[in-house]
Amino acid sequence: MSDIGKGDVILEIRGLAVEVQGRRILEGLDLAVRAGEVHAIMGPNGAGKSTLSQVLAGRPDYDVRAGTVRYLGEDLLALPAEERARRGLFLGFQYPVEIPGVNNVYLLKAALNARRRQLGQPEVDAFEFLGLVRDKMRLMQMDESFLSRGVNEGFSGGEKKRNEILQMTVLEPVLAILDETDSGLDIDALKVVAHGVNSLRRDDRAVVLVTHNPRLLDHLVPARVLVLAGGRIHTSGDAGLALELARRGYDWVRAEAAAA
Amino acid sequence: MSANPQAASPLARLAGAQAALPGGAAWAAWRGAALERLIAAGLPTPRDDAWKYTSLRLLARRELAPAPPRPVATGALAELPALAGPRLVFVDGRYHAALSSPRLPDGCRFTPFAARLAAESPQALGATLAGDAARIDERVRLLNASLAADGPSLELADGARPAEPVHLVHVATGGGAYPRTRVVLGAGASLELLEYHLTVGGGEAFVAAAGDYRLARGATLTHSSLQVAGDRTILLDDAAVVVGAGARYAHRLVALGGQLTRLDLRVALDGEGAGAELAGIFLADGAREQHLRTLVEHRSPHTASDQLYRGVAAGRGRGSYDGKVIVHPGAAKTESRQSSRNLLLGREAAIESRPQLEINADDVKCSHGATTGTLDEQMMFYLLARGLDRDTARALLTYAFVGDVLRRLAPAALRRAVEARVLGRLPAAELLREFVA
Repeated sequence: MSDIGKGDVILEIRGLAVEVQGRRILEGLDLAVRAGEVHAIMGPNGAGKSTLSQVLAGRPDYDVRAGTVRYLGEDLLALPAEERARRGLFLGFQYPVEIPGVNNVYLLKAALNARRRQLGQPEVDAFEFLGLVRDKMRLMQMDESFLSRGVNEGFSGGEKKRNEILQMTVLEPVLAILDETDSGLDIDALKVVAHGVNSLRRDDRAVVLVTHNPRLLDHLVPARVLVLAGGRIHTSGDAGLALELARRGYDWVRAEAAAA
Repeated sequence: MSANPQAASPLARLAGAQAALPGGAAWAAWRGAALERLIAAGLPTPRDDAWKYTSLRLLARRELAPAPPRPVATGALAELPALAGPRLVFVDGRYHAALSSPRLPDGCRFTPFAARLAAESPQALGATLAGDAARIDERVRLLNASLAADGPSLELADGARPAEPVHLVHVATGGGAYPRTRVVLGAGASLELLEYHLTVGGGEAFVAAAGDYRLARGATLTHSSLQVAGDRTILLDDAAVVVGAGARYAHRLVALGGQLTRLDLRVALDGEGAGAELAGIFLADGAREQHLRTLVEHRSPHTASDQLYRGVAAGRGRGSYDGKVIVHPGAAKTESRQSSRNLLLGREAAIESRPQLEINADDVKCSHGATTGTLDEQMMFYLLARGLDRDTARALLTYAFVGDVLRRLAPAALRRAVEARVLGRLPAAELLREFVA
């Protein structure tokens, strides 16, 4: 068990400015995420939602120009991507990459052991691991064949997303950032994914859902909804804000952000 | 081809070495003619299209004369994968009975070339010098013919299908070696042939090997070539294969060693329904140079060829794939695929890739593709974002890059042995073993 208690600050972003290929995407973004919370970051396409996710995970070609990010009290931006993952930060990718020839389940085992080493826990052996991963696969309603396939190799869009959530449930991250995990899923798959995320919710963890689709929030009720526009958090509110976005769309957000 | 007076000098030295070789007058004449033609052509230079990517400047200072007989301890073969089947060992191109275990299955006949030198003329062994020299650069073959005195000659009777593979082991100890191989499969015969090139001792070695392979109607030959020569060995290997109607030829190249290695693989699909499947990897790390040149000729209708090559260069390593497919007139319904993908792991590493297609027939299906690049950034980030360290992620992606070729290796014991060797060349080998278990 961790020594993180409900309400402790897990992630604190101040004045974050990010450029991608010379173009300013995030412009002075502030955000605080506390243990036990589920946040939804919403916003129109191109608002910088994915950029934020990727920067937090440590993508090297994104250029942080200003601001600070503290994760569990540490300077997150000073840590390489692999160190962030080992400290319990998980990014569920919007477009999980296919890596033929790298076994899906061995990658997951290596990822889990990297995390456990960081926590000072003994590595899991193959037998123990297989039992664990089979349980989680049942939860995600995934076929046994996922065990022997290459990472995302030949997976459908929905299978890739399920695989991301499977990884998340096995790794049990402190902070899970799910980048458009709901996009491209039918309603049944959406329920399975939401179920996987709900199974992870605990007082010592936090989840950030990045989505432009308010429908996911029917299944996963967030504590706070933050609307990203113009490179910063434009508006925030409770779950009711998501309903308003579902009703009104994003045009008014865009208009207000442009006027600001 | 252009004569190069400076490069000709190492060749001129070879005339003296010919005098010491066994065989009668016919052989002396045959070798003399080969050397004469080679001297006239000169050693290849990068100005020759066939040698655009391979420089033989190292040859100027290399001892080319055949190595004197040297004792070789049996332990020298310890690095070979432990595989069942008869083993024929050639040290510096000469048959070595003590190291061999030539208990061949029924229907399979082995003759050391040397044993037939006295009795037969070169023509009887099919070691003809006739060739389409205008189109095909045969200089490695001529170099081999100038000094060849021994090598394996294998014949499989019609319908013979030995259960175990036959191993041809070539050991270089330093100095020149000129093994000449001949493999003839009768109709419907089937053979798994495993060929190894290795070096014992740290001396400079030069190997110019040549082989002739002939598959009669319906025969199947799986020919795996494992190049694990030492860091001071130059290995030039020229293989010419004729595949008869309905016959199948599969070649697997695993090039892991040598200072400079090159395989020229020419396959003629010479009969309706003949097929060739060529696959291989090279791993040019350190200052290694590994080159591959293929020529597949579709001479008959309904022939198929498939080429799948993966190259990796690291450090100051260099490599090349220069592959040509020719579809001759009348070879309708030909299918041909060429894939060459290459991975550069260092700023000073380089790989050239040139797939070429010459189609002179209608109704054919041919495709080719070539890429050379660095490790995929997105794959790399994905692995790092799952907590893998950089060395492991790089090694894993490198291993996965050659994985589709490794999976084609057979028998399974050879595949495992090669996998272990490839892993051994990558960082974080222990961790990687998990992934491929």
